[in-house]
Amino acid sequence: MPETDEHFYQDDVVKRLVMFSVAWAVLAMTVGVYIAAELVAPTIDFGQQWLSFGRLRPLHTNGIIFGFGVSALMGTAFYSVQRTSHVTLFLPKLAWFCCYGWQLVVLLGGLSLLAGWTSSKEYAELEWPFDIAITVLWVCFAIVFFGTVARRKIRPIYISNWFYGALIIVIAVLHIVNNLAIPVTISKSYSLFAGAQDAIVQWWYGHNAVGFLLTGGFLGMMYYFLPKIANRPIWSYRLSIVAFWAFTYTYIWAGPHHLHYSSIPEWVQSLAMVMSLILLAPSWATMINGIMTVSSASEKLRVDPALKFIVLSLAFYGLATFEGPIMAIRSVNVVSHFTDWTIGHVHSGALGWNAMITYGVFYYLIPRLAGNRLYSYALANLHFWLALAGTMLYIMAMWAAGISQGLLWLSMDEIGELKFGFKDIMASMAPYYLLRLIAGLIFLSGTALMAYNFYMTLKGRESVLVKPPLVDAAYRV
Amino acid sequence: MSQEKYSSVFLRALFQPSTAFKELSSIDPTPMSVLFRYSIWLLLIPPLCAWIGASAFGWRLGADEPLVLSNHSLITISIGYFLALIFGFVSTVFISRWMASTYGARASLGLHFALITIVAAPLAVAGIGHLFPNVLINVLILIPTMIWSMYLLYTGIPVVLEISLEKGMLMASSLVGWLLVAAVSLLGISVGLWTQGMGPFLGV
Repeated sequence: MPETDEHFYQDDVVKRLVMFSVAWAVLAMTVGVYIAAELVAPTIDFGQQWLSFGRLRPLHTNGIIFGFGVSALMGTAFYSVQRTSHVTLFLPKLAWFCCYGWQLVVLLGGLSLLAGWTSSKEYAELEWPFDIAITVLWVCFAIVFFGTVARRKIRPIYISNWFYGALIIVIAVLHIVNNLAIPVTISKSYSLFAGAQDAIVQWWYGHNAVGFLLTGGFLGMMYYFLPKIANRPIWSYRLSIVAFWAFTYTYIWAGPHHLHYSSIPEWVQSLAMVMSLILLAPSWATMINGIMTVSSASEKLRVDPALKFIVLSLAFYGLATFEGPIMAIRSVNVVSHFTDWTIGHVHSGALGWNAMITYGVFYYLIPRLAGNRLYSYALANLHFWLALAGTMLYIMAMWAAGISQGLLWLSMDEIGELKFGFKDIMASMAPYYLLRLIAGLIFLSGTALMAYNFYMTLKGRESVLVKPPLVDAAYRV
Repeated sequence: MSQEKYSSVFLRALFQPSTAFKELSSIDPTPMSVLFRYSIWLLLIPPLCAWIGASAFGWRLGADEPLVLSNHSLITISIGYFLALIFGFVSTVFISRWMASTYGARASLGLHFALITIVAAPLAVAGIGHLFPNVLINVLILIPTMIWSMYLLYTGIPVVLEISLEKGMLMASSLVGWLLVAAVSLLGISVGLWTQGMGPFLGV
C-alpha cells in the first residue's frame, strides 16, 4: 500500500503555528515598547485615538497572550500530543482551521481594539462577536487534541497532555462564563454580572487565565520538551502527577487576591490569600522537577541553546511563583497594588518564564521541523544574553518604581494628611520608565534576532516527514 | 599559605577574577576565618551607609520632599538590614554547599564562604551609594554592580569548585534563582513591616 500523508505526523500545521507565534511576538512586543515610550514621552500618540495608551495597551496584552502565547501552545500541543500518543493528529483539516481561524480572530480582534471596541474587562477586552468566534475555535482545538488522545496507541496519557488538557477545559469554562453578556450593537455588549459579582467573576477569569494558560499550558510544554531536549526522563513522574492535581485544585481559588480591600466579602479575600500561599508548593515542586531533570544533562548545554533558555526560564518561574504569593498577602498588597511592582511581577513571568521557555522550545523545534542546522548559534547565544539582560533590567526598574510609588502614595504627615501629590509622584517616575523602555528594546531586539535566525533556517526547506514509531507491547492500548 | 597572599586573593578577585579564582581553589580556608575577617565587614557597609545617609539627608524616592525617619527607627531598620544581609549571606553559602552534591562540586564549607563573599563584595561595596539616599541613584549604581557580581558567580563556580563550565552554569543559574527569591523576600518582609507600623508613617 502506498504511504499517504496519514502515515506521517502532521508537522506542517505545527510549523505554521510556530511561525505565526514568532510573528506575533515581534509585533506585540513592538507595541509594548511603543507604549513604554509613550509613558516617557506622552505626546508620541500624535493626538490619534488609535495610538493612545488606552487602546495600544490591550493590543499589547492580547497580542502577547492570544497571538504569541496561544499560537505557541497550539503548535506545541499538536506536536507533542502526536508523539506521546503515537498517532497522527485527529481531523488534521480541523487543526488547520484552528491555526488560520485563530490568527484571523487575533488580527481582527486587535484591529477592533484599535477602533475602540472594548468590553473593559482586563485580558477579555474583545467584544462579543470575537468571544463567540474564540469559543468555536477553542472547541475545535479541543476536538483535535482530545480526539488524538482518544485514538492513542499507547496506554498511559503522558503528563504534558494532562496540562494541555487542563488548559483547554478550564480556559473554555472561564472564557464562556466571564464573557456572558447581552449584546446591544455589533461593537457593544453589557456583562450579565454587576458590581462586586462582576469583579469576582472577572478576576476568577483573569487570574486563572494566568494560571491555566500562562502557567499550566506552558508547564505542558515544559514537561514534554525539557526531558526531550535533555534526553532524560522527567526526574520524578510521581511528583509531576501530585503537582498537577495540587496545582489544579489550588489555583482556581486564588483570583480574588486581585480584589484585596475592595467591597467583596473579607472571607473571600482571606481565602484567596491562603490559597495563593499554598500554591507555592505545587509551583515549586514542578520547578524542582525541571531543574533536577536538567541537572544530569549538563553536557548538552555546550551544544544546545534551547536548554540554556529553559534552565533560565525555570529560575524566573521560581521567582514569579514566589513573588505572586508574597504580593497576595494583604499587608504587602496594600502597598504593592496599583503600583508598577505588579507590572514588574507580570513581566518576570511573561518575559522570564513564558517567553524564555517558548524561545527554548522553538530553538529545539525549528531545526527539527526544517531538517536543517540552526542558521546561527552565535546569534542564538547573543539572543540569550539580550533576553536575560532585558528581563533583569525590566524587573529591577519596576521594583524600584513600584516600591517608591507604594510608599509615597501612602505616606502621611503629622496631621494625617497625604504627604505627596499624585502628579508629583507620577512625574518622578520618568527615569524608571526610561530604564523600562531600554529594557524592552533590549528584549525586543533579541526576539527580532531569533525571528531572523528562524527565517534563515527555514528558508527554502520542506517539512521533514516523521512516522510514529511502533509501541512496546507492554504499553500498547 | 601566608596571610598576605590569602588576603590578596579576596582583593584581586574583584579585578582579576580568573587568576584569583584559580589561587583560591588551591586554598581551603576555614569558614569562621572568612566570615569574621572579610564577610561581616563587607556586609556592614550597606546598613552603616544607609543609616548615615538617611539620618543626614532623608531618603529621596523621587518626589521633592525627602522621607525623614526618626533616628530611633533608622537604627532599628539598619540593624534589621544588617541581620537580613547576614542571614541572606549565610543561607546562600549553605544552599550553595547543598547544591554542590547535585552538581558534583567540592563541598568544603570554607570554599563556599569564600566564593560567596567574593560574589557579594561588589554589591556590598555598592552600599556606599546609600550615603546618597536617592532611590534612582542607588538603582543606577546597583545595575552594573549586579552584572559584575553575576559575572563573578558564573566564572567563579567552575574554577573554585572544580566542575565543568556547563555544570557551573547550571549551578550558578540555580543560585541566581535563589538570590532573586531572597531579594523578593526582602521586599515583601520590608513592606509587611511598614504596614505593621515599623518605618515610614503610612496611612493604612
